[in-house]
Amino acid sequence: MERYLKKYTLITSFIAAILFCNHAVAQENEADNYKMAFSFRTEKNNDNARVLEANFIGRNKNDKKDILPIFGAEIKFFNILNDDEVLLGTSKTTNKGIAQLIIPENHNYLIDPEGNINLIARFEATEYIEEESEEIIVKNLHLELIFTEVDSVKTVLIKAFTLDSLGIETPAEEVDFIVFIKTMLSKMPIIEGTIENGEFEFEFPADFPGDKNGDLTVSAQVEDHDEYASVTQEKTVNWGVFSKEIKKGKNTLWSAVAPIWMYTVLTIMLVGVWANYLYTIVHLFKIKKEGDQLKQTDES
Amino acid sequence: MKINNTEKKATNRRKFLKLGLMSSVTVVAGTSIFSNLRSEEEKEKTITGEKVRLLTPEGKIVEVYEENINKYPEALITPIESKIGIPNRKFVMVIDLAKCKNARKCVERCQVAHKLDKHQEFIKIQLISNNEEGQPYWFPKPCFHCDEPPCVTVCPTGATFKRDDGIVLIDNTRCIGCKFCITSCPYSARQFNWGHEDKFDDKSQPYSPETGIPAAEGTVMKCDFCPDLLRQGELPHCAKSCPMGVIYFGDKNEDIVTNGEETVRFSQLINDRGGYRHLEHLGTKPNVYYLPAVNRQFPLERGFDIEEDIKERYKDVPYVQELKKQGKI
Amino acid sequence: MDVITRKKTLVKEFSPMLEKNSSLFRLWIGALVAIILVGLYAFVLQVINGHEITGMRDNVVWGIYIINFIFFVGISYSGAFIAGILHFFETPWKNSVLRIVEITTILSIIVGPIFILLCIGRLDRLHYLFIYPRIQSPITWDIIAILTDIIGCFIYLYLTFIPDLAILRDSKELKVPEWRKKLYTFLAIGYQDTPTQRKRLHKIIKTMSAMIIAMAIVAYTVLAWIFSLTLQPGWNSSIFAPYFIIAGLYSGVGVIIIAMYLIRKIFKLEKHIKKSHFIGAGIFLLVLALLFGYFTFSEYFARWFSHKTTDNQLLDTMFNNYFWEFIFANYIGVIIPIIILFFKKLRTIKLITFAAVIAVLGLWLNRYLIVVPTLETPYLPIQDTRPEFIYYTATWIEWALSFAGIAAFFLFFTLLIKFIPIIPMSGIIEQEFASRNKKDKIAENQE
Repeated sequence: MERYLKKYTLITSFIAAILFCNHAVAQENEADNYKMAFSFRTEKNNDNARVLEANFIGRNKNDKKDILPIFGAEIKFFNILNDDEVLLGTSKTTNKGIAQLIIPENHNYLIDPEGNINLIARFEATEYIEEESEEIIVKNLHLELIFTEVDSVKTVLIKAFTLDSLGIETPAEEVDFIVFIKTMLSKMPIIEGTIENGEFEFEFPADFPGDKNGDLTVSAQVEDHDEYASVTQEKTVNWGVFSKEIKKGKNTLWSAVAPIWMYTVLTIMLVGVWANYLYTIVHLFKIKKEGDQLKQTDES
Repeated sequence: MKINNTEKKATNRRKFLKLGLMSSVTVVAGTSIFSNLRSEEEKEKTITGEKVRLLTPEGKIVEVYEENINKYPEALITPIESKIGIPNRKFVMVIDLAKCKNARKCVERCQVAHKLDKHQEFIKIQLISNNEEGQPYWFPKPCFHCDEPPCVTVCPTGATFKRDDGIVLIDNTRCIGCKFCITSCPYSARQFNWGHEDKFDDKSQPYSPETGIPAAEGTVMKCDFCPDLLRQGELPHCAKSCPMGVIYFGDKNEDIVTNGEETVRFSQLINDRGGYRHLEHLGTKPNVYYLPAVNRQFPLERGFDIEEDIKERYKDVPYVQELKKQGKI
Repeated sequence: MDVITRKKTLVKEFSPMLEKNSSLFRLWIGALVAIILVGLYAFVLQVINGHEITGMRDNVVWGIYIINFIFFVGISYSGAFIAGILHFFETPWKNSVLRIVEITTILSIIVGPIFILLCIGRLDRLHYLFIYPRIQSPITWDIIAILTDIIGCFIYLYLTFIPDLAILRDSKELKVPEWRKKLYTFLAIGYQDTPTQRKRLHKIIKTMSAMIIAMAIVAYTVLAWIFSLTLQPGWNSSIFAPYFIIAGLYSGVGVIIIAMYLIRKIFKLEKHIKKSHFIGAGIFLLVLALLFGYFTFSEYFARWFSHKTTDNQLLDTMFNNYFWEFIFANYIGVIIPIIILFFKKLRTIKLITFAAVIAVLGLWLNRYLIVVPTLETPYLPIQDTRPEFIYYTATWIEWALSFAGIAAFFLFFTLLIKFIPIIPMSGIIEQEFASRNKKDKIAENQE
């Protein structure tokens, strides 16, 4: 039943699309049927660069399931302090409705005395879509991972702090975090916790293989914190126990090169048979030679 | 007819869109972390259709084929690299039979991604049982990418080969179509292109054994573990699309597998849940493991909410006949 | 002097076979060519449309092409084997049948591999087999074996032709076109039947005959391995190689008996192909029938007795879907020839030929039952709704090409008989002289 409904909606939407195409000259605004949703978030990366990301989608007013990303919309990102408004950069939304901007680590933000950075993402109104804008206030949190190994007990210390203009550390409080091990296809959570007094310490599980050098990438992540937004920090440590040898150059039935004995047997057999053929052909030539000689003596 | 029309329109729009994409790509290029986080939500929207609908700031809805937005990073892989594989990896799949309810999303997504026809399935969902008393269970069956692959052994030209990362692939520009590999595979994982199809002529995407697209007439094809996605750090299509999280995939060297939602240690999963390999006694050493169908999350009947002709496939299974008699299906 | 006149009378005796083209003969050739043309048309269709127009699909990927291939190649190997044995052990009555055996050998090794080519999806890439060979693949072994065997058979056949070609070259009375005479001269390579030449020729024929026996065994073993080295329930059997060799011999002797019968009838060669030849071949066929029955029984009995699940499923398919085929191939095809050939009274030429026909047909079906039901019964059940993907039925394309192959076999056979006498003339002379010498010797001894 559901499938038929789906089919039906597909056909109707197709017809609708055709209708709209015909009316293209009239410049009908298809966006009218959609309620826009604009969101803005920021994340501090492990290289201390800050990613600003705006997500811009439209939800069909009549059909909640119909969600369209806005594609190619120009989003402007600002840093404001009081009345100063500094344009950080402009980015267009992708086919997923996402516009991103990466601000390098050494960027000088406008910061208020409490250490807050005020960021705004803004979409300027077009003829068809209204203006959207959202603001984030974030503090610049520093995460640090410190690995120590004493008597084969591996410990990880996570430090979280903010810096004021004089470079003095203030420990962060009540910061929830997750620690992952980054793998090829996903992240494996190993611990969740809350940073109190700017620190958290835990023992690292001993048996992760890591990559071929035994390197493990450990990633600590703070997600959507009220004050600090999202922050990730990662660091590589040689604590893996990778031991799988990578077999190479072994001759098997399925490898490109066959086991040596196969070549040997085949060569012996082929040489044997073909030597015989050659022997036969040589004798045929001898027969021919004798015949030719007979012919010559007959003629003479 | 309908399809043709939309396709034409789509191509025009595509050209227009390409320009736009190019400019945005440069901005996005720097980050991938965010899109990784996002992909969870995004996949829901683009899962079934081949087309993506988008709204432009000009207030217009456009439809583009999803593939056209792909950047085909696999095209950058040289043929030699595609035969060696991804360095220091050893891929492994774990299929949790307890969670499978024949939703067939893996099959459908795989078909779209590999441009397969309706009945061509790289991953098949079979209904099998361990013995006469046992209730049958749904059994998703991809290629097992064996460590002792009989198909590779018998190939006379090296068209099918096993890479260092464990993946068994087919180079359809080398295949002569002798079909010996098909007869030697005990798992019926391989398929043959019996006739010519229009899609074979689509040369818009350069051929690579890693994608198997475009397929070619008179050659063999099969499940490839989607190495093109693996290179981008993404799960194969089947694992990504399964709504139940049945299919775990990962690198055995890392000892970690994931189904997109949870990430677990491979060895632990196999040991704790009694993982096994199908037809172990044949000695092919598959790289696909199964977790037995114990404490099943769904009754078998749930798997029959499917198209009629696919339902028909299972008509010879005695248990299904019984269910039919009872009117449960 | 005596020898030369004898040669002349022999040429005269066989000249009608070589010279005349009766209208019936023309009709026969025409019919064969027509069948081959239909086959060619089918082949063109297959090339244009792809293998989709055959009955083969994903489960049964090999059909009657492969069956014909192993059937013909089996005949060839058995021919080579028999020819080798006859020559190597200097069997006294070999002369009359030897050439029939040799021609059967060479023609079936030419026709057989054509069928494997029909089964290949990308004929345009055939040369990849030689550019990118993989030594581990049984197909590579098979290709090497077949190519080597074809060349060996050609050399061997040619060696046995040389004396007759020389006789034909020297017969001025023979009314054949000039090009054929030239060809005889060229191919006879100046063979004058001098004692040294004769000795040399005998020597190389003998080594080649030994070679050919060995090669027949190796090559047919390799062919059996294509099946038995896989993991498929019906194929993975250690007795497959000897089983195939016995089966090949069985069908080969059958085909030779049929050929003997037809040639004897058509060319009225009762004087040369005698009843004793039929009885000799018949007894050989009896031995082979017993052996073949024994192997077949061992093969299926072991499967039935140990009843592994997969073997059971295979036997189920066999008895549910191929019941009558199974009965004909493995009961009638063995028992009827045994009954006919066992009782002395039944050993008439006609009945022996009938037994041979039954044997050949039964064996073809036996091959069918080895290939198709196995592919229809894989480890994992076939769950499909398309009947053509579950069961195999050959389409007219495949049948047309099969018959074209058989027609080609007959056509080449007929043309070769036109080119060279089917009974080796040199052999007749040799035999006569040998027996005369023996008589002389006996006479001398008595004196």
